[in-house]
Amino acid sequence: MSPRKKPQAELFPVQEAVLSNGLRVRLVPDHDSPVVSLYTFFQVGSRNERPGITGISHLFEHMMFNGAKKYGPKEFDEVLESNGGRSNAYTTHDVTVYYEDFAAEALDTVLDLESDRMRSLTIDDRSLKSEREVVKEERRLRVDNEPAGLMDEALHALVYEAHPYRWPVIGWMGDIEAIRRADCEAYFRTFYAPNNATLWVAGDFEPDRVLKAIRKAYGDIPKGPPVPGVVNAEPSQRGERRAELRHPSRAPSLIVAYRGPQVTDPDTLTLDVLQFILGVGEGSRLQRALVYGKRLAVNVGVDWSWRRDPGMFAFHLELQPDADVRAAEDALSAELRRVAEEGVDPREVEKARNNLRAHLLREFTSNSGRAHALGTYELFLGSWEHGFGLPEAYGRIDAAKVQAAARRWLDPTQRSVVTLVPEDVRT
Amino acid sequence: MTAAKHRTVRAVEVGRGLRLHRLRTPGGLPFTVAQRGRIPLVAVRLVLSSGAAGDPRGKEGLADFTMRLLRRGTALRDAHALDEAIEFVGASLGLFAGEDQVAVALTTPAEHLPAMLHVLSELVRVPSFPEDEVRTERERSLGQFANDVDDPSLLADRALIRTAWSGHPYGHDVTGTRASVGGFGRKDAVDFHAAHFGPRPAHLFVVGAVDPDEVAGQIEEAFDSWADGPRTGVEVPAPGGVSRGGTVVVVDRPEQTQSQVRLAGPAYRRGAPVQFAAQVVNVTLGAGFTSRLVREVRVKRGLSYGVGSAFDTLRAGGLFSVSSFTKVETTGRLLSVMRKEVDRMRKRGPTKAEVEKAQRYLAGLFPLRTETNESLAAVLADMALYGLGDDWLDRYRDRVHAVSRAEAQEAAAAYCFPEPPLTVVVGPAERLRPQLERFGPVEVLSADDVL
Repeated sequence: MSPRKKPQAELFPVQEAVLSNGLRVRLVPDHDSPVVSLYTFFQVGSRNERPGITGISHLFEHMMFNGAKKYGPKEFDEVLESNGGRSNAYTTHDVTVYYEDFAAEALDTVLDLESDRMRSLTIDDRSLKSEREVVKEERRLRVDNEPAGLMDEALHALVYEAHPYRWPVIGWMGDIEAIRRADCEAYFRTFYAPNNATLWVAGDFEPDRVLKAIRKAYGDIPKGPPVPGVVNAEPSQRGERRAELRHPSRAPSLIVAYRGPQVTDPDTLTLDVLQFILGVGEGSRLQRALVYGKRLAVNVGVDWSWRRDPGMFAFHLELQPDADVRAAEDALSAELRRVAEEGVDPREVEKARNNLRAHLLREFTSNSGRAHALGTYELFLGSWEHGFGLPEAYGRIDAAKVQAAARRWLDPTQRSVVTLVPEDVRT
Repeated sequence: MTAAKHRTVRAVEVGRGLRLHRLRTPGGLPFTVAQRGRIPLVAVRLVLSSGAAGDPRGKEGLADFTMRLLRRGTALRDAHALDEAIEFVGASLGLFAGEDQVAVALTTPAEHLPAMLHVLSELVRVPSFPEDEVRTERERSLGQFANDVDDPSLLADRALIRTAWSGHPYGHDVTGTRASVGGFGRKDAVDFHAAHFGPRPAHLFVVGAVDPDEVAGQIEEAFDSWADGPRTGVEVPAPGGVSRGGTVVVVDRPEQTQSQVRLAGPAYRRGAPVQFAAQVVNVTLGAGFTSRLVREVRVKRGLSYGVGSAFDTLRAGGLFSVSSFTKVETTGRLLSVMRKEVDRMRKRGPTKAEVEKAQRYLAGLFPLRTETNESLAAVLADMALYGLGDDWLDRYRDRVHAVSRAEAQEAAAAYCFPEPPLTVVVGPAERLRPQLERFGPVEVLSADDVL
């Protein structure tokens, strides 16, 4: 069964190559617009960290813009923007991703920039000191002054006792302060080697010529040591866990999370379907029950993010100011019990499948979207071809499978609950 | 399926092989179809030149409230049936209100386009605004205000709009205030709909892998009965400038460890010829990762994670603003650096090298603005709403490249705060006051004052 026969693959043929240093290269040419997107995926995230240097993956993402041998400090963006391009990056628990969108004629320059920093990044005390302050400000923005950030941090520390998913991607403030240059140097050697990276190029270019250019730019970067594995020592959960956060908010909030499987588990795609049935769209079950029916919540979201190690299936509820948190929790539990006990309607499954297919198509509507989606599928599912095969895989999921997954994963004894309790600081 | 014989499709070439097919339904709805791409997802966008600027006094937020209610029931279907019709097929619907436009954006798998055009037509023609849905939406909006208190960045933006354009139709957030929304009833939405919705101030756009002639027939069928209504959209007087320039408005949030900071002064209306020179100035001062502001604030001093400047332009006027945030202790220092950089830009403008770099940046990234069907539909809508001209897409890059250094200097002199800007800070007022007094008289508001 060749994935190239599938309709989406015909829309976007993918060419692939592996360099002798282990760098994986994927090319997705498309000549509709005179632009190109380049994505570099490194298989490293906060799960590869240890206590004492939490946040180093994210801090390192900042360090990558501070100069290398050929292009000095801050030249990366200077050269890129001068050539009609823009860049950014993000770090998660599992992956660190760098990307650039730019005018097609700048492709060789961008390859030169990207390969320069993979080959010879400068790591010095001065830039570390400056980026440390910037990251601390980012943490103040996203966590310390943002209740949703505080709750998410409390949730991870509650769900995970031993696994590195326990700490926040941005790291604990004290650890951000403590990371040293030597930590960064070791980190770079291990995780930013070509054999731990995949390059995705999508847009207006000739693949043969660009593959040659990539070989020239990256070919001489030495292979790194094998990446150490991550130990998952997470003990089993023996009953519900709870945490409470007091904050000067006007309205309470609630997160209820259940332990979920790792991405490669066969139930992962079934949980995608369940996520859509429960929480995606105005007509989804929880939106109807909690926002429009009982009017307890202002917003409801279901977060089922694929993770390399066992993840979590989480419900985020922003409540009405006068809502009773316990009543909201009970109403949510009742809806989840209804799925586990009574199952779902085949029409709801079909609706979820239609939306998952549309979601996939939507990802493919831009060069950046194609490179990002296919790169992510490759990283999590083991092959980008599985991404093209997703609509077919979702097609094999029926109502019985959804009910079985709900029974298995939405187990009240495996629940963790974080509540945000409004508190007036002025009194 | 549809006969084209009575139809004269006027196709306009707008650059890069893109042809716009333009027509008008018998009822008077202008529409534009653009055939494009291979992905079987079609973007549909219906815009009306109405919006928050048309909110009656005391009814601030009504345009936004009315828009959100469109999908909560029509003469033919209740909210659940509408949600099912849209969401079952994998389509998605967005309802937006801006200051001087409202928009319904639909993305649908191509095979469901005819059915979705009917849904869209129903939403804008015959919404029923059921009493209980109005009540739910009102409660939900009020609940959202309570949640918004926790978003310092949003509080800063709300305080800025409210102060800078005080007394003008642009001088309130599109979502209104707790006081105004708390008073909304069914009749308000019904009246707003009657006053502002109709084919003549509207324009419909369809972009995707479609046959323009076939789609024209589908649009005519779906919108056949939409006629009459208002002749024109909302007329907005030009705002005189920015009120309370030179003052420092502090929204007091005693528990915060970080302050949000905004500076603002008057700018030009959307589509004004100066826009290209002004964008060159903006890129140099505060867009991207290599702007002067990023260099001075983030790179050299590590004062913030983000800093930027922007021209927000509307039909009748615009604002030029600079935004950032920093820990409470360094707020005064951050403001000094921001002010100093804007002053430097106003006095000398960008250098020749900076002008050239900004031109390459703007021109190189321009194609990304229309890369997806949704984004192209939105740009086509803006071209129509703001009279940007049919050659907007084709000539944008030439116009950017044509900006001279002298023109950029003039734009900098005109918009980089020739008069003292309005300053807005969200954070703990008591700790901030000593740092802020040197920037102007300090006025303290509570979060409730801006919600």
